[in-house]
Amino acid sequence: MSHLDVDSDRPAHERLADERLANRELRSSRATAAVIAAVLVSLVSLYLLLEAALKALGQQPWLALPEQIASWLHQLPGNTSPVILAACGALILLLGLFFFLQGVLPGHLHRHRIPGRRGVVVVDDEVLAASLARRARTEAQVTREQVLVVVSRALVEVRLRPTSGTPVNADAIQLAVEDEVRRARISPVPQVRVFVSSSGVVGQ
Amino acid sequence: MNQTPRTLNRILITILGLKLMLAGGIALALALVPALAGWWHAVTAQAGANLQALLDSTTVPGQRDSWLWIVVSLVLLLLVLLMIAWIAQQGKGRTGTIAADFDGDGAPGAVQLSSGVAEQALRAALQERDSILHATVTAYDYDGGGALRIRVVPRLGVSPQAVADEVSDLVEALDLALGMSFPVVIHLVAGARSRLVRADRVR
Repeated sequence: MSHLDVDSDRPAHERLADERLANRELRSSRATAAVIAAVLVSLVSLYLLLEAALKALGQQPWLALPEQIASWLHQLPGNTSPVILAACGALILLLGLFFFLQGVLPGHLHRHRIPGRRGVVVVDDEVLAASLARRARTEAQVTREQVLVVVSRALVEVRLRPTSGTPVNADAIQLAVEDEVRRARISPVPQVRVFVSSSGVVGQ
Repeated sequence: MNQTPRTLNRILITILGLKLMLAGGIALALALVPALAGWWHAVTAQAGANLQALLDSTTVPGQRDSWLWIVVSLVLLLLVLLMIAWIAQQGKGRTGTIAADFDGDGAPGAVQLSSGVAEQALRAALQERDSILHATVTAYDYDGGGALRIRVVPRLGVSPQAVADEVSDLVEALDLALGMSFPVVIHLVAGARSRLVRADRVR
């Protein structure tokens, strides 16, 4: 995001430090998935630990001897119903896929960075959408309920239901919202799309 | 801003995910493709024989079981402790002391600045603003020094740039008052308070 004009007069190492801070703010830390994974591994380990410790102490097993578990695994397709085995396999596969994707996907949060005079400024997409909706609303002279703005990473969608009998100029709204986006100086600059619904709202 | 070990999180989660996918995939394949059963029996029989040989070779004469079970128990215990340590790493990094000066101007003693100074000064100033419904300020350890995270709930519909500028003004005033500047993150959020006002949007 080095093209933010406010940043250009600042030393490179500060900009780099800000960039690092901003990246932490804009992406998920995967803390939740990490805690789930840690709890899962701990529970499995605790059970195996119990059986191994009982074995080491020469005591009776709690649920099954380690050897029994191993031989059950060895005889696998024959000793369970294929439906249950397939269901369990699919479940484990999906769980693994969840963790794998959590680890590999970038995990962008619903936030944008805007340039600030001091420090790193990140804005939730909801806040951004609210400010754009307000601008579209004043431009079209409609009420709150008639405008819906959806902000995603590279796209701003404005959905507007005009008041019956009062035509709305979609191009003017497009320009106004684009102007507001430019003023907020979001980067990357999202594309703006305005949809004016054909059916109007009565009596606003 | 906090010290969650993000790279470690991703590496460990990915490894766990791959292992689970492998296990689940094998189970699914065994259930769906009966022809694989022979291969599975051969592989596991071989592994079982190797394991039995290892256990036999590590059994002290006169004892019933291998001492390897003790080692396995200890390794599993270590694994559980590591997992607990990993959980403890998540989201840590909040600090009570935002700045400390031990050498200073040569006078005896040290100066420590509690993070409450910055937190309360900023919060009080932020809460007076009309465009801001609620604000929280927290101090974190960052790069060997302090850093501030300012979480602001603006009134819905206010231009984010205007709010950011207002907060920047206050932070600059704080910089002047304290005589030092920290890395700052300003986060504008749509909190529960702004949702109580009828919303203009849906994400």
